[in-house]
Amino acid sequence: MADTRPGAALAEVAPPVERPGDLAGLLRPHAGSFAALVVLQVIGAVAGLAPLLAVVELGRVLLAPGPADPGRVWLVVLAGVAGLLVQLLFTAASSAIGHLLDGRVQLAFRRRLAAHLGRVPIGWFSRRRTGELAKVVGEDVSAVHPFIAHTPAELVSAFVVPLVSLVYLFTVDWRLTLITLIPVLVAVATVPLMMTAARQREQREFDAAMGRIAGSVVEFVQGIAVVKAFGGADRTHRRFVTATDEFAGTFLRWARGLAPIAAAMQTALSPPFVLLVVLAGGTALIAGGGLAPADLLPFLLLGLGLTAPVAALGHGFDAMRAAWRAVGRIRDVLAVEPLPEPARPAEPRGHRVELRGVRFGYDAEREVLRGIDLTLEPGTVTAIVGPSGSGKSTLVQLLPRFFDPTHGSITLGGVDLRELGGDRLYRTVSFVFQDIRLLRASVTDNIALAVPGAHPDQVERAARLAGVHDRVLRLPRGYDTVLDEEARLSRGEAQRIAIARALLADTPVLVLDEATAFADPQTEQAVRHALATLRAGRTIVVIAHRMETIADADTVVMLDDGSVIERGTPAELLRRNGRFAAFWRSQRGDEAR
Amino acid sequence: MIRMLLRVLGHQYAGPVRRTVALMMATAIVEGLSYALLVPVLRALFGGDVAGARPWLAAFAAGVAIYAALRYVSDLSGFRAGTTLLRGTYRRLGDHLARLPIGWYAPARVGEVSLLAGRGVQQAMSVIAHLLSPYVSAAVTPLAIVAVMLAFDWRMGLAALLAAPLVAAIQLWTGRATAAADAERHRRDQDATARVIEYLQAQPVLRAGGRTAERFGLLDDALDELRRSSRRTMVSALPGILGLSLTVQAVLTALLVLGTYLALGGAIGPAELLAILVLAARCADPLLSLGEIGGQARGARAELAKLDTVLRTPPLPEPPDPVRPERHDLELDAVSFRHGDRLVLDGLSLAVPEGRRLAVVGPSGAGKSTLLQLLARFHDVDAGAVRIGGVDVRDVDTQDLMSRFAIVFQDVYLFDGTIEDNVRLGRPGATESEVRAAASAARLDEVIARLPDGWATPVGEGGALLSGGERQRVSIARALLKDAPVVLLDEVTSALDPVNEAAVHAGIERLMAGRTVVMVAHRLSTIRHADRIAFLDGGRIVEAGTHDELLRLGGRYAAYWEISMTPAD
Repeated sequence: MADTRPGAALAEVAPPVERPGDLAGLLRPHAGSFAALVVLQVIGAVAGLAPLLAVVELGRVLLAPGPADPGRVWLVVLAGVAGLLVQLLFTAASSAIGHLLDGRVQLAFRRRLAAHLGRVPIGWFSRRRTGELAKVVGEDVSAVHPFIAHTPAELVSAFVVPLVSLVYLFTVDWRLTLITLIPVLVAVATVPLMMTAARQREQREFDAAMGRIAGSVVEFVQGIAVVKAFGGADRTHRRFVTATDEFAGTFLRWARGLAPIAAAMQTALSPPFVLLVVLAGGTALIAGGGLAPADLLPFLLLGLGLTAPVAALGHGFDAMRAAWRAVGRIRDVLAVEPLPEPARPAEPRGHRVELRGVRFGYDAEREVLRGIDLTLEPGTVTAIVGPSGSGKSTLVQLLPRFFDPTHGSITLGGVDLRELGGDRLYRTVSFVFQDIRLLRASVTDNIALAVPGAHPDQVERAARLAGVHDRVLRLPRGYDTVLDEEARLSRGEAQRIAIARALLADTPVLVLDEATAFADPQTEQAVRHALATLRAGRTIVVIAHRMETIADADTVVMLDDGSVIERGTPAELLRRNGRFAAFWRSQRGDEAR
Repeated sequence: MIRMLLRVLGHQYAGPVRRTVALMMATAIVEGLSYALLVPVLRALFGGDVAGARPWLAAFAAGVAIYAALRYVSDLSGFRAGTTLLRGTYRRLGDHLARLPIGWYAPARVGEVSLLAGRGVQQAMSVIAHLLSPYVSAAVTPLAIVAVMLAFDWRMGLAALLAAPLVAAIQLWTGRATAAADAERHRRDQDATARVIEYLQAQPVLRAGGRTAERFGLLDDALDELRRSSRRTMVSALPGILGLSLTVQAVLTALLVLGTYLALGGAIGPAELLAILVLAARCADPLLSLGEIGGQARGARAELAKLDTVLRTPPLPEPPDPVRPERHDLELDAVSFRHGDRLVLDGLSLAVPEGRRLAVVGPSGAGKSTLLQLLARFHDVDAGAVRIGGVDVRDVDTQDLMSRFAIVFQDVYLFDGTIEDNVRLGRPGATESEVRAAASAARLDEVIARLPDGWATPVGEGGALLSGGERQRVSIARALLKDAPVVLLDEVTSALDPVNEAAVHAGIERLMAGRTVVMVAHRLSTIRHADRIAFLDGGRIVEAGTHDELLRLGGRYAAYWEISMTPAD
């Protein structure tokens, strides 16, 4: 039997124990597993040399004059096989630990990011693209995967194994060891050639051309509906094709410049070339009598491994560099200052809201609110009107603390909003804004968002008041229907769900933007109902969209360019014959036509 | 996978890719065969015959030189093929996207496709470009080496050959086993991303409900689910990777044991044995790398599959002999249209004479917006016909058709450019004074006067830096500038407050003057002046007439009017 209590799907989970801190703090609990992973990897990789050494020993025994001792031969073979087995087991165990650890670390990172994003000022989001933030939580965290799951193994096989081999080879013959290193030196010598100014310029051009392609394709796709409707599809399409062709040219230039050097490097590191060098050197040394033929074997078998570090430097670290950049973006998000919470939250007395000398700007140059003084009395409706860009939306967004004012203060029941705990604030102020966001959860959960324990009857009552109950009953599973998954609602219906949410929350202060009230007549009616029902004893602020709301308001505040230019009862303002009166007459005249 | 790649590329771009693959195979074969020369070199050296080793060594050096030359050529060819791949894919994608019906571009699609086109293509192509050479070399070189081994000692060669079918079978099996897990993981990934976006966008309400991250179970569940599915992916890939290592190492062991046995019995010379074991060791690394390459290739395959799906979506057919409509009256003739399995319009017929205004009213989901979209051929109808000036829209060239419509929607898309760029989109060739005139007619001039950089003010992604009313004015100015004979309006003023609405209305009135207009509106006061009103419900017209006629009729429209006029009680 499914749990049908409101809020069951949103039920609390245990809060993670980690305290705010840097990424290192998140990694510390996993240090033990990480160490185990590295140790297992080192043992496994070094054991992987055993079969090669067994072949070397086998050669020494078989090439020695006289009949070979079968017991000793089989012992060598056995040691080699054992080494293979150890390698298999240990590297597999290390890899498994790495992947499990990776999963845990990613989960911890994501939880940490989500918790942090739940505390930054809401206004901060409006300046970011949601997609980019989602990318940090999703992809960028995934980008640490190679760091934990693959990098240790790569580093061990790129550096530890060659080092062990090198030491061993030196004990066999130092001259041939040096000869074996020749390909490595040749490869290293090509590196500066790749870093010349011309090469780097080509690399930058390449990156830029790649970026232009991505940019033009995104523009092409995102604007396509508009562009096609305006008959401009050809132009953006051409721009896109030009970017692609340009890229192809840049790419070929880049490739032609780089290809000979890259080929030289790759050839130097390739197994045939390394074997050739070893054989040539070995032949010379054997001819001079300075080297036993059997001692050539270890170089043929282990010599190839010496090139691993250079090969890894060549391209193996691309993923690591990408991971570093991703970690940088994660840190940037975690570095955003959360909205300060008071150490000792104060208790408001009553629900009078007062704005004193409130100034606010999204950036330093452009002030949106220029000194607003306003008192919102409990039990009254204040309608805010004004032309586009006058600061209406910004003003009402300060009440639920999407932003803090840059100057001045907003108090609720005599307490500055900044002194009020977040919980307390949201239990006091509810709001219905323009962009309604429904959750992919049941209708009940959506309505009972702020009151998780609400009784189904209460939820239904709120839905009835908001005029959406009948619509909900027509959904496939009524109140249990998961929105966006099993059914979609129109804008007006979504708006009514949001109103039901506010009605159920039943807070003493309500901030309302009537914006989508006209989605359809039912929604318009729901807004009217809500205002009438909630009026008693509450502090209501509404960005008015309907003339009736304005007429019924206790106070009308007319904003222009971030300042209050007129305020008073509708009747007073009409008598004053100012801006509001002019606006009112233009509207009425329009309607009567 | 290669087959899907070639299909995505289309025929004209496939050639260079095939050539490159052939060159890479030749390189790998030369590498493997050149190792054959190691055997006589080693036999001579281990036998103490240094002089006898020298000619063979010289031959090996020649082999290495051929290998290096081939490799250089195939690398260059690979670069060229990489460019072709990218350019070809982009070209095909671009051409195709331009021909898809506008209706296909639902908001979710746009995000998906721009991600696919932006990063997906580059990722898929670069992975293929980077993996192709190692993959070919890892698969072909060991085979060539085994051939060499067979030539020198059939028993040892046969033992090594045993590995080939096993490795192939394991590769195939791993591919299948992980494909399912990958698909599930991808689904979880998307689910988690959707939850993260929801969590971010719903921050205001979530905080109002006291739901911080720890308490928003839906997100946390999705994140945890993600971890579990990634663990499942690993568990399902593990047997394959382990199996591959196990097979390769078992064969190495077998060769070691068999060789030792043969050597002790005198059936093979120690020099030959050692040479063959050196060759065997040369096979192991490339084979083991096959597992890793396979994993990376699967990631690219997912992107390729998405690309393939988009490219296989049928585009809007263009008429072979386009007809130019002479008039601009509109007609829907018994039109039916399905969206998925839902019948949105059901045999709907209506006509708008040239220069007249039709208002479409009705409850949510009645098919009002769809009706507008069909007029501008965002989709093709399933039955019936849409005509402009008596000509079926399917017989009109798309560009020509679009040039006849000015469309103002409720959700305005603005480019991430300046206000001027966005207005000019209406008619790129317009003169300075025409642009200014359109702006003042839409009362956009007062908005521009207030902005810090005036006309050059950037509007932000999708117009985010402007308010709803301001965006709407930009789109009206754009439509005015376009000066098209037919105007389609979709709930233009529904989200505006009275002050902005007055401004927008003035612009709309100028836009509608003397043109054929179809408007969808919920605010009954804004539509009462239309020449004709159609009340839509369930994909059919239930009432039609003038405002006064419909009120007298006392039906659905009258009831609607009633609700919006009654004061709240």
